[in-house]
Amino acid sequence: MGMNERVQLQQGDLWRDVRPGEVILEARGITKRFPGVVANDHIDFEIRAGEIHAILGENGAGKTTLMNILFGLLQPDEGEIYLRGRRVQFRSPLDAIQMGIGMVHQHRKLIPAHTVIENILLGHPQAGSVLNLKQAEEKVAALAERYGFKVDLRARVWQLSEGEKQAVEILKALYRGARILILDEPTSALTPPETERLLEAVQAMAQDELGIVPFITHKLPIVLAISDRVTVLRQGRVVARMATREATEQLLAQKMVGREVLFRLQKPDVTPGEPVIQVENLAARNDKGHLALDGVSFTIREGEILGIAGVSGNGQHELAEVLAGLRPVEQGRILFAGQDITHLPILDRWRLGIGYIPAERIDVGSIGDFSLIENVLMNYYFDEGFVRQGIIDYDKAYRLTERLIVEYNVATPSPRVKARYLSGGNLQKLILARVLSRKPRLIIANLPTQALDVGATEFVRNKLLAAKAQGAAILLISEDLDEIMSLSDWIAPIYEGRLMGMLPAAEAKKETVGAMMAGLQQEAYAS
Amino acid sequence: MTVAGYEMKLERRVTLAGWQAALIALLAIGVALAAFSVLFILAGASPLTAYREIFRYAFFNRYGSLLTLNRFIFLALATFAFVIPFRAGLWNIGMTGQMYVGALAAFGVLYAFGGKQPGSANLNPYVVIPLMVIAAAVGGAITGAVAGFLKGKWDVNEIVVTMMLNFMAFWLVSHMIKEGGPFMNPGGRGESFEVPPSVRGPLIGNVPFTIVFALGLALLLEWLFAKTKLGYQIRAYGHSPKAARYAGIVPERISILVFVVGGAIAGLAGYHYFAAVPGVYKISRDYAYFGDLAFYGIICGLIARGNAIAALPVALLFGGLSIGGRFVQGKLGLGFGIDYALLGVLMITLVAFQFFYRYRFAWNRSE
Repeated sequence: MGMNERVQLQQGDLWRDVRPGEVILEARGITKRFPGVVANDHIDFEIRAGEIHAILGENGAGKTTLMNILFGLLQPDEGEIYLRGRRVQFRSPLDAIQMGIGMVHQHRKLIPAHTVIENILLGHPQAGSVLNLKQAEEKVAALAERYGFKVDLRARVWQLSEGEKQAVEILKALYRGARILILDEPTSALTPPETERLLEAVQAMAQDELGIVPFITHKLPIVLAISDRVTVLRQGRVVARMATREATEQLLAQKMVGREVLFRLQKPDVTPGEPVIQVENLAARNDKGHLALDGVSFTIREGEILGIAGVSGNGQHELAEVLAGLRPVEQGRILFAGQDITHLPILDRWRLGIGYIPAERIDVGSIGDFSLIENVLMNYYFDEGFVRQGIIDYDKAYRLTERLIVEYNVATPSPRVKARYLSGGNLQKLILARVLSRKPRLIIANLPTQALDVGATEFVRNKLLAAKAQGAAILLISEDLDEIMSLSDWIAPIYEGRLMGMLPAAEAKKETVGAMMAGLQQEAYAS
Repeated sequence: MTVAGYEMKLERRVTLAGWQAALIALLAIGVALAAFSVLFILAGASPLTAYREIFRYAFFNRYGSLLTLNRFIFLALATFAFVIPFRAGLWNIGMTGQMYVGALAAFGVLYAFGGKQPGSANLNPYVVIPLMVIAAAVGGAITGAVAGFLKGKWDVNEIVVTMMLNFMAFWLVSHMIKEGGPFMNPGGRGESFEVPPSVRGPLIGNVPFTIVFALGLALLLEWLFAKTKLGYQIRAYGHSPKAARYAGIVPERISILVFVVGGAIAGLAGYHYFAAVPGVYKISRDYAYFGDLAFYGIICGLIARGNAIAALPVALLFGGLSIGGRFVQGKLGLGFGIDYALLGVLMITLVAFQFFYRYRFAWNRSE
């Protein structure tokens, strides 16, 4: 008996006679630890046949880890997975696939130059030697027909839209016999009509007693529209599970964000001065060419912090890049101290006094193979105080780096160490030190404390407040609502590229901000 | 693997000091020469004799060492042409084409001054030679700029562009020097007219003055990378284009700049070989041979890990082996191509040994 036959037989046995509503997958006590963090902390949940069961959580809540465990990419430290009551262990995705688990990745794993049918057959156990293309095509076409996917099987994948590519991934999983379908951020790249079609297809699959598990970070309306049940994760734990009909967007937002103990920060009492930055009706596109910012307007004055609250992917990243000059403006204008800087090159903005602390501290904010001195020079190599006739004064840069290391508590044996050997927190301190030491009049801080430990987080927040006390205008972008609430003077929740309102921080309620982050208008919460 | 009670394991290197890189390169050379012995034995020659003859001729013989130096200058310049874009994270595979166009531009100056006519012996060297050098640099720079511009502006792959330009330049040379071409030698023969004696590249001792370029540029380039704002920008872009952009460095500018400077230096290599090396003084019939040789700039640059000064000994070794290899081929009556085969084996071994830049063997006493 060949290997493939054996697997087929196993799977055939496993999935014989599925009854509607029966528990087909059960996870008990799933725990996964990474150095310094418990990504999944005793997670229990179950999936029933014919059920759409959404897993909801912010970034860092442990969704990705859980998904990878279910698909065999990671092995749990503790806990068990049962398929139809039978204990299973996935050593690799291949095991998971053979046991009937299908995965539709957010970042598509298709080969653009190959046709749809070739992609679907790629890696199929029976596609090894003799390929009965015609038979396979008929089968796939029947599946597509059944669930309402309109995809030309002979088209090349690069010609397809995001929605069609997703359909191909779903068909691929179904063709390999998936009975449980994991969808990673299924609607993130789709247009509204594509989203509509996906919802219909997913419901049709549920009718056929498949278990569907969409993992969703934001887009609460989708959760409500698509799912039968929802499990909410926060900091690696299940914090809520409920039938979707009992849930509301407000409730889910509150569960997702949670109520944590606020840092007691000394907010300096600063009287706002002149406007530093004025943004008028700003629009910009993301890397995919979709409109990521639309009609954004705000003003930040000297000594003010404007907090942009939102779950990632709602345009805040693009906003930071547009202000820093890294992304072109589609429409609208930006005034800096009254001067139009809408199309000003990046370097001129640094010179004018705009300081940008990027979210991607390893890829953008630093150069791993450069010494700390050379990393500090990233914001000084153009400065007349450090360059004479095109020659950099490395001694002076060394002294500055030494001073910043002491002032900002960067733990490193020497300024000559390569930046790649710094921990995340120390690297962020170095970037912060470099940017703030230029005494910028506007600071754009994108996720300044993301993934930092408690100490470093507090340090960074206090440094930002100190800059505010000295009169800097600060645009703070964060997914951490507590951070936004405790640092900002004004809060502007962002959803799908639009600011949902402008709330004075002193009066803003966390629930209100959370709901606005999820796309609900301010008016609904005015009371 | 276990040997004599010790277990051998491969480990990833965290750091690599300069001396370790040098040691690995020396080891690779040893292994390559040992491996190539097999070919000498198959050809019926004693490897020891062959290597002794190669090294003696290439580095210690009056004539041979001069030939080696000519090759060394050429290879060093071709290497710099590779290294400058390499430090910016870009790949110049077009030293050959840039070198050809540089040579053509230098001969264009001669042509404009009437250097093609017989009896043009009294051209003013103080005017014509500097102009030839400048023209060669400009010709190479323009050829390089095409790739730099396309890369910077539209992100067109620079490897493909420089490679294609090599072919264009190759046939352009052919068109210019072969029968009917403007630079055709009056006697035909498929080569260019000769450089009149008064404007041939001057010699320092018996070595072409272009050795000053080779040695001077090595120092200048490393100083540029280590000390200047421009060098900083190039290195930053080479390590991380995203971070460089964040810091206000304009990618288009860096891309064009490194290819212009790299191309200019490749152009000088063309000037050097066809207008300053004794016994050549023309774009010779076998110009393709030097085009191939220019490719060794890539390998020298990689072995030197992008360091222009470290590239000098590597270029000297390759130059010497190519001369010495050709010499023993004749002397010992070996088959055609033994010189290039030797360079090829050396190259492959050195590249293979780059593995040890990233991994090392660790020996543990096994239980």
